[in-house]
Amino acid sequence: MTATTETAAPAAAPQRRAWWRGNLDLLVNPAVVVVGLGLVALYASTVDFDSVARRALNPAGLRRQTIEHLVLTGVSTLIVIVIAVPLGVALSRDAVGRSRGAVLAVGGFLQALPPLGVVVLIGFWLGFEPSSMILALVLASLLPVLTNTVVGLRQVDDAMIEAARGMGMTAWRTLLGVELPLAIPVMMAGIRVALVLNVGTATFGAFIGAGGLGVPLFSMLKLFRLDAVLVIASLVAALALLVDWFGAIVERLVAGRAS
Amino acid sequence: MSEAVDSVSVDEGRGGGPRTMISLQQVSKTYPKAEAPAVRELTMDVPEGDIVMLIGPSGCGKTTTLKMMNRLIEPTGGRIVLDGDDVTDVNADELRRRIGYVIQQVGLFPHLTIAANIAVVPKMLGWDRNRTAKRVDELLHLVGMEPGQYRDRYPRQLSGGQAQRVGVARGLAADPPLMLMDEPFGAIDPITRERLQDEFAGLQQQVRKTICFVTHDLTEAVKLGDKIAVFGPGGTLEQYDTPDEVLTRPANEFVAEFVGSGAAVRRLSLLELARLELDEVVISTGGAPAGNHPVVALDDAGRPERWLSVPGTDQPPPLVTVPLTGTVYDAVDVMLDAGVPLVAVVDGDGESRGALRWQTLIGDLRAKRRRP
Ligand SMILES: Nc1ncnc2c1ncn2[C@@H]1O[C@H](COP(=O)(O)OP(=O)(O)OP(=O)(O)O)[C@@H](O)[C@H]1O
Ligand SMILES: [Mg+2]
Repeated sequence: MTATTETAAPAAAPQRRAWWRGNLDLLVNPAVVVVGLGLVALYASTVDFDSVARRALNPAGLRRQTIEHLVLTGVSTLIVIVIAVPLGVALSRDAVGRSRGAVLAVGGFLQALPPLGVVVLIGFWLGFEPSSMILALVLASLLPVLTNTVVGLRQVDDAMIEAARGMGMTAWRTLLGVELPLAIPVMMAGIRVALVLNVGTATFGAFIGAGGLGVPLFSMLKLFRLDAVLVIASLVAALALLVDWFGAIVERLVAGRAS
Repeated sequence: MSEAVDSVSVDEGRGGGPRTMISLQQVSKTYPKAEAPAVRELTMDVPEGDIVMLIGPSGCGKTTTLKMMNRLIEPTGGRIVLDGDDVTDVNADELRRRIGYVIQQVGLFPHLTIAANIAVVPKMLGWDRNRTAKRVDELLHLVGMEPGQYRDRYPRQLSGGQAQRVGVARGLAADPPLMLMDEPFGAIDPITRERLQDEFAGLQQQVRKTICFVTHDLTEAVKLGDKIAVFGPGGTLEQYDTPDEVLTRPANEFVAEFVGSGAAVRRLSLLELARLELDEVVISTGGAPAGNHPVVALDDAGRPERWLSVPGTDQPPPLVTVPLTGTVYDAVDVMLDAGVPLVAVVDGDGESRGALRWQTLIGDLRAKRRRP
């Protein structure tokens, strides 16, 4: 269901101004990234890296590892959404009753496992490859999306649902047209948590041959090239910030006018 | 549920009074795990085109009754016949699209514009864009909101009163013959509420719906209702009659208490002048006494100017008027204020519609039948 989207022409101008004013906070995040990376670059330019460090920091390699890192994060988060959202919808139904708590408890258990342990175990079990890493990431970040989907849907005012059903909307239509749109802000918050979590956890991909920025990070750590570690760790942090920023933008676009 | 009840009382007019729009027959509802029923063997016929006000103390089953009519709640006993069909036989979602529903908490969808909120049911019924847009504007006009100004707003940009109006407009959207309204003016300050009630009464003059209207407010029930259903504790129907009957002849102790027995003055504010058999006034240019009736002189515009003679007084008192839209309470207020034994009642154009005399007031006030 879509709202009537055609906005009257005269209303458009003030609305755009308000849009910018309302979203200025979105500039903070990239500003921090730019300043932070700038400072790190400034520091790096004063350091005389040896050949080992220089090999780890070569731009082409870092670019490839960044892309690997993003793919791990993106694919695992997508899978999390595909699994957790329908599951959350199902769990949010009234009929589910008491088993809701049980399922969320299992999710909480998965969440509490140390990620590195899970990564290595799954690596030994399913092989040292990116798909194992993606499975590990899915397990590690399923819970926030699941919980927030359930919470987001449960907090929708009963009056909305009663109004919808009372006007003759079917249960499906109520879900798609009323409940989900109203739950989106909470659900998106969960998805952002999952994204950021996955950026961090994806560094462990280095241990099971899944690539990513963890590869140079941990090798430099092992070789005690701490200046290089600093640079790569800053990249990971910047990536997490940017991914969160991306989530914030999507959230604004999707949730947009609902409040 | 008894299949044997085939003598469903759906009388088709023809001297038998108006058609029945919705008929509750021995309807009961016991919620799961509850010991006592929330609604107990309720039997009630709602005539087409009437407003029936459901009133009673909190928790007596008004909302439950309303929701059983559109099957948001399934009755545990009895049957409900809508326009000749047993409602339990039809698809609940389709049934509800034929019944306007205004819920107690307004329940506008915050993520949709006002226009989209109103258009929910038309959209489900597959109306095309143009027809829907026209209908939305028409309804906004109807509830007194400028479409150009409000159409594209979001519910959070409305005041409480405006939101309630949009709620009513949304209920009316697909022009359903039957409307269920659960305290539609519940959470509104008394002044706005009164204005909304007036507008609503005017609206009903235009749209002539059959309306079941839940309220907590006796004044509202008397003002808007063609009939009042007084519910008592335990979900029983204590009295189902016209407002005048309920006020003047409460069926039992409970109803008497509920409508405020002893509070005679309070009752005055419930009696609208328009509903009363007013004292006749003779319009005259001369000064001759006209039997038992007061005689009034008119000004050039045809409005009452002064009393020429008033039975029972030697010297005619000064003339004071009250509008026909006022209540007996207003009339008494004016009488006491001006120290006069009678007031002239005038309509919107200022023309005389009769008088209300103190003698009549303390003697024999008679309500006239509404809509003869
Ligand atoms: N979903 C439910 N489950 C169990 N009991 C309920 C449910 N809804 C209402 N009841 C009970 O049924 C009775 C009637 O409730 P109902 O909502 O119909 O009252 P009401 O007359 O509308 O009250 P109010 O004037 O406060 O709105 C109450 O005792 C209430 O506690
Ligand atoms: Mg109620």
